[in-house]
Parts: sequence; structure tokens; C-alpha cells
Amino acid sequence: MLRMNDVSKVYAGGSVALQNVNVHIEPGEFVFVVGPSGAGKSTFIKMLFREVLPTTGSIFVNGVDILSLEPKEIPFMRRQLGIIFQDYRLLPDRTVYENVAFAMQVIEAPHRKIKRQVLNVLDLVGLRHRANAYPNELSGGEQQRIAIARAIVNDPVFVIADEPTGNLDPETSWEIMEIFKEINETGTTIVMATHDKEVVDAMGKRVIAIEKGSIVRDEKEGVYGYEL
Amino acid sequence: MSFSTKEYFIKETYKSIRRNGFMSFASVSTVAVSLLVLGMFLMIFLNTNNLAQYLESQVQVSVYMQDSATDKELADVKAKLQKMPGVVKVNQVNKEQALARFKERLGDQDQLLHSLGKDNPFPNSFEVQVDSPERIKVLTPQIGQIPKVETAKFGQEVVEHLFQLTKILRFGGILLVIFLAMATLFIISNTIRLTVFARRKEVLIMKYVGATDWFIRWPFLLEGMTLGFFGAVIAFLLINSIYAALLERIHATLAFLPLLPAQPLLFYVDLFLLIAGTGIGALGSYISLRKFLRV
Repeated sequence: MLRMNDVSKVYAGGSVALQNVNVHIEPGEFVFVVGPSGAGKSTFIKMLFREVLPTTGSIFVNGVDILSLEPKEIPFMRRQLGIIFQDYRLLPDRTVYENVAFAMQVIEAPHRKIKRQVLNVLDLVGLRHRANAYPNELSGGEQQRIAIARAIVNDPVFVIADEPTGNLDPETSWEIMEIFKEINETGTTIVMATHDKEVVDAMGKRVIAIEKGSIVRDEKEGVYGYEL
Repeated sequence: MSFSTKEYFIKETYKSIRRNGFMSFASVSTVAVSLLVLGMFLMIFLNTNNLAQYLESQVQVSVYMQDSATDKELADVKAKLQKMPGVVKVNQVNKEQALARFKERLGDQDQLLHSLGKDNPFPNSFEVQVDSPERIKVLTPQIGQIPKVETAKFGQEVVEHLFQLTKILRFGGILLVIFLAMATLFIISNTIRLTVFARRKEVLIMKYVGATDWFIRWPFLLEGMTLGFFGAVIAFLLINSIYAALLERIHATLAFLPLLPAQPLLFYVDLFLLIAGTGIGALGSYISLRKFLRV
């Protein structure tokens, strides 16, 4: 489970990104985080993997207070998370296979397990046949699928996605969402910041809306709720 | 650390050094030059120290007589010297012998002596062997008091000058070592910074998927250490051949100068340079990584 208790964030210079945010996310949930640009979505998402630290409040991941972690414990906390970005962040000088395997190599997974697991997740995202291609040979949608494969290859408890369909056309976005749905059905919790009204409305999942740094709406089977 | 992890580190290090070909070359050269200067300095220092110690261990007093001393007086002084406590041997050197010795030392430059004509500027003298360097300090002034003795000296002044010199060398050496180490550290950490910068995306992804700081650090540390190591190898190869050439020259012309033999001196100097080069390489990488790892 993920929990934020009374979290506020004031950036150096005084701009308030979040104030008094309280959130509780149960295992297996699929949660959209929506709101206008600059409302604090990104700060909210980044706090979950400890890229941004709150000014006050506490954050728990699987019962562990991630703000009181020793520096050397942080990597192990992050291994429970799969993180996906709008801009994919693939390594251009490595093949699809190597990009995904990289995530396992750097946490020192055994050789044989790497091969099996990488091929499994490439199957899941439907790109096993492109294993030897380089990222620049792939479409945007395909690159994002590789990024998803990399995020889930270490079997994370949570997948955290920051606008994963932000650069993709509607049809491709749907294909990506199908993959997220599938991942969620295996019991993985998903937290996703998005601007994609169609997707949010059609999925019928929990929606947390943030405006001016505060949660203004938290609905079990919500809708996007903003006019485009 | 598993085998595949080690393999990964070595591959990454190799790739990175090749990718930054020119900067790697520049770093190795800088390390080589710095360590070369450092090594040479070390050799000079050790040799000066050795020379001073050698001179200090000499247990011979030179006793120069006044020209007015007669043969009988010379014999008396000799007898007196032989009776002094701690004196092992007294060797008389008359004016002619002294001149002949000097001629021999000059070798083929003995025409310098022609201007002297028939004059012989060398005094009668005694070489007095004493049993210990401690005793020599007490005996020398006593000998100086004997009538008809002009002066009595042992290597003391030279030794004191040399020790003074080694003190200065030691002090200057420490400054030089600090300066060179800083310069080398700077250039290596700069090279590694370029490497890290070129690979910042990779570092970031490693952080996100939960690689430990040490896992991220190792390839960069290895890169710095490799650059430092090769710089040190170049430096010690140069030093070894320079010292060999120097020894050969000195043996041919200034054979009395007691230089340290090449071994084991060079072995220790080489070892020192290798450790210093590799260590500075590792430290330089570590420093430039600190900023990038704070994610």
C-alpha cells in the first residue's frame, strides 16, 4: 500500500506545489491522478519514488516510511517500484533486449533469470520480435512499451507512470492502456498521472484530482472531469 | 559480486575509455608527467639522504700540518695521534704524495697543474681512522690543539650541509607532492566527469530501477584507476631508464659519488608510483561522481 500523511511541498523560492495531501492507495488498485498543468501532479508522482522530498508530512511505501530511509536503503525501496516516464528514457545505444535486461543487470540478477524474464515481459508487451532493434528504429508507442517492459521486468509491487501516453496518438494510447490493464490484473498497483480524458473516462477507475496543490476530488469510479 | 556483474563492469569500463579516447589519452599523459616529476624528485631525495648518511658514517679525520713543521715534529705528532684513545690507524701523507693523488684524480685534465710550476700547495697531513662516528666529534677538536697542527677536520660540515639540503628537499617535496597530486586529481576527475555526463541518462535509469550507489560507481572508479595505472606505468618506465643511464654516466666520470644501486630502490619507487597513480585515479572518479549520485 501507498500512503501520504499530510504531505506538503514548498519549493525553494516559495512556490507551493502540494499542501496537506492525504492519500491511501490499497494493493491492486488502479489510480489516475489528474488535474491542470502545474497543479502538483508531477510533484505528487515524483514523491512516490523519492525523487522529490516533501517539506512536511510522511510517505509510506508498503509500510515503510521512505523519508527516514538511510541512503543505502533507497535502492532497495525503489526495486519495489516500476517507473515510467512520458519521454520513455530508453538508452539509444542499446537494443530493446539490452534496455530491458539492463534493469535486471544493475540489480545483479542472475544471468539465466535475466534472459527468461526479459523474453517474458517482451512477450507481454508484444515486442519480442523486435528484441534486437534499437530504440530509434521503433515508433513512439513501441518505445513506450519497451519502457513498460523495463519497469515491470523486476516484478515491482507498484507501477508509477508519469503521463505515459502524453506523446502518443489516441489509438496507440489505447494499446498502451491495455497493457497497463493487464499488468494491473496480475495484482500490481498502478498510479498514473495523465491528461488523457478519453482514457480516464473509459477505464472507470479511481480518480484523484489535484488543483493548486490540493486534492479536490477522490472518486472510486471517477471521470476526468475537466473540459478540454 | 557475481561473475556476470564483474564482466559487466569490465565491459563498461573498456567501452567508456574508448568512447572518450582523447580525454583518456590526455589523462594518462598528465598522470605520467606528474608521476614522472614526483618519481625523479623521490630519487634525488633518497640519494641525497643516502649521501649524507654515507658521509656521516665516515670515521676519518684529516689532520693538516703547518708548513713550518720539521720531520721530527711530524714524527712526534704522529706518535701522539697513535696514542689517542679510539684511534685505529694513522696514515701519513707527505706533500709529494698529496700532489700525486690530486694529479691522479684530475686524470687527463692534469695540465691544470702546469700553472703551479714547481710550487706544491699541498701540506703534509695525516689520515686518522677512528673507531666510531661519535668519538670523531670529540677527538677532532683535541687534535686541532696539538702544536704545529694547522687544522683538523672530518666530513662534519659537508654532512651538515647535506642534512640541511635534505630538510629543504623534504619540505619542498611535500609541497610538490601536494601540488602534483591536486593537478592530477583535477584532470582525472574532469575526465570522469565527462564520462559520467555522457552517461548521465544511464546513471539516472540505474537509480530509478534501484541500482546501489556502489554498483553505479564501480565502472567509473575502474576507469579512473585504469587511467591512473597506465600513467604510472609510463612514468616508472621512463624513470627506470633515466636512472639506468644516469648510473652509467656517473660510474664513468664521478665514480666516488655513492649513488644508490638501481635495485631495490627502483622497485619501491615503481611500486609507490603505481599505488599513487591508481589511488589518485580512484579518488578523482569518486569526487566527480558524488554530484551525479544524489538523485
